[in-house]
Amino acid sequence: MKNSGLAGKHHRKFLIRVRKSQSFIPSLKFWHPWLRQVLDWMITFWSVLLCLLMLPTRFPGMELLGIGPNWVLIWVVSWSVKRSPLSGALAGIILGLLQDAMTSLNPSHALSLGIVGLVTSLIQKQRFIQEDFISIALIVFGMNVLADSILALQFCWAGDRQVTAIWIFYQRVTLASAILSSLWAPVVYYPLNNWWQRMKLLAHP
Amino acid sequence: MFTARRWWEHKGLQIGLLALVLGGAWTLRQTQGTLLLELYQSITRPWQMLQQGISPEERFQDARLLEMKTRIVDLEHQNQSLQNLLGYIERDPLSIHPIVARVVGRSADHWWQQVVLNRGANEGIYEGDIVKSDGGLVGLIESVTPSTSRVLLISDLKSQVGVTVSRTGAKGVLRGDASSEASLEFYEKVPNVKIGDLVSTSTYSQKFPPGIAVGRIKSLDLKKLPASVAKVELFPPIKYLDWVTVYPKPKNQEQEQPNLVKKQPKISDSMLDKPTKQ
Repeated sequence: MKNSGLAGKHHRKFLIRVRKSQSFIPSLKFWHPWLRQVLDWMITFWSVLLCLLMLPTRFPGMELLGIGPNWVLIWVVSWSVKRSPLSGALAGIILGLLQDAMTSLNPSHALSLGIVGLVTSLIQKQRFIQEDFISIALIVFGMNVLADSILALQFCWAGDRQVTAIWIFYQRVTLASAILSSLWAPVVYYPLNNWWQRMKLLAHP
Repeated sequence: MFTARRWWEHKGLQIGLLALVLGGAWTLRQTQGTLLLELYQSITRPWQMLQQGISPEERFQDARLLEMKTRIVDLEHQNQSLQNLLGYIERDPLSIHPIVARVVGRSADHWWQQVVLNRGANEGIYEGDIVKSDGGLVGLIESVTPSTSRVLLISDLKSQVGVTVSRTGAKGVLRGDASSEASLEFYEKVPNVKIGDLVSTSTYSQKFPPGIAVGRIKSLDLKKLPASVAKVELFPPIKYLDWVTVYPKPKNQEQEQPNLVKKQPKISDSMLDKPTKQ
């Protein structure tokens, strides 16, 4: 009954999603909104932690020329693709600070990831492209190239490395890292996006 | 007033949480991710147990290696007695009991060449300690947590090591190339070197003790300006490091070396020796 009411108002895809997750929703639906919010934060927090702890690992198949996927960048893109520019940029800065903790203090990742978050949320993907998987892979590819370029400029600015060496390394590595990250992007994006969409549905039915 | 209060009620929590998260991220960054690395180590420990590679002890079973070892002991003994004859005081001999550690993580971003070891301050590792592997020098300990440590490899773009060509004594700076090769920039325009010469750390170096093997000269470019440059093939398998040994950092014993060759002009090699900490 309720479904037919929804179908009149909203998009068809929306209806399918509601139907599919019906068996799960009742349990969440009757939760106190506060509790639900806390659960949402917890899941976001654990996903960030998981991405950070995946960074130093190199599982078989996740490596190309000794480079692993940039999990943190994938997370930032997944977060900001359906959010406001401000929250995208802030998430980028926070995750950038966290990635600094895993590597070295200077130059900071906060700048490159902040810009990535901002640009991703400005793309307004949902307005132009409905399809999800390939467009996410493409956005991650582009953003990876952007982040690498910004980092390379920061390295040049810092001046403790040889500029020619930086650009040779940039050419050698950017493509491999962008391909790898974009191929692994759905692994992070799909479950997170699914969860956030469900929370959004519950909060604004 | 009322609208401001409503706005604050609405947004106050969000702003507070945001400040909390930002502060947390900043703290983690400033502590070099100590918490994260400890967590990583405690999670990966069971896996390390599962995939025990060849332990360093087993490698020494190789008969040829034993033969070489015997020869080295013999030569060291001979060297020692000659040094005694000359009254030569060696600067910073490497400690005899290194800490054996295993590589449990690679660099968290491809712009840095780092590895994470599964031993830390609890086992007596300090910042600036020297890391070696089969084949020679690997890097320098960059940061330490109670049970992990992070190594900046010599293949990092930032790394600079003062080295010397063992055969002729030509000196230069070795810069990392983010690969298994590194580029050696000589001080002289026409250095006395040829392809195949062995390269080791130089006596001027303050970060590293002298005489640690580094690599072999693979190609030479004598026309390059302002100084000649050589490509050096690094001996340790930088990309597939597994077991490494950590030695305490050399102490500066400048005052205690009276009868060495009279202080040659201290070419700022020590300064060239790379700033490890930023």
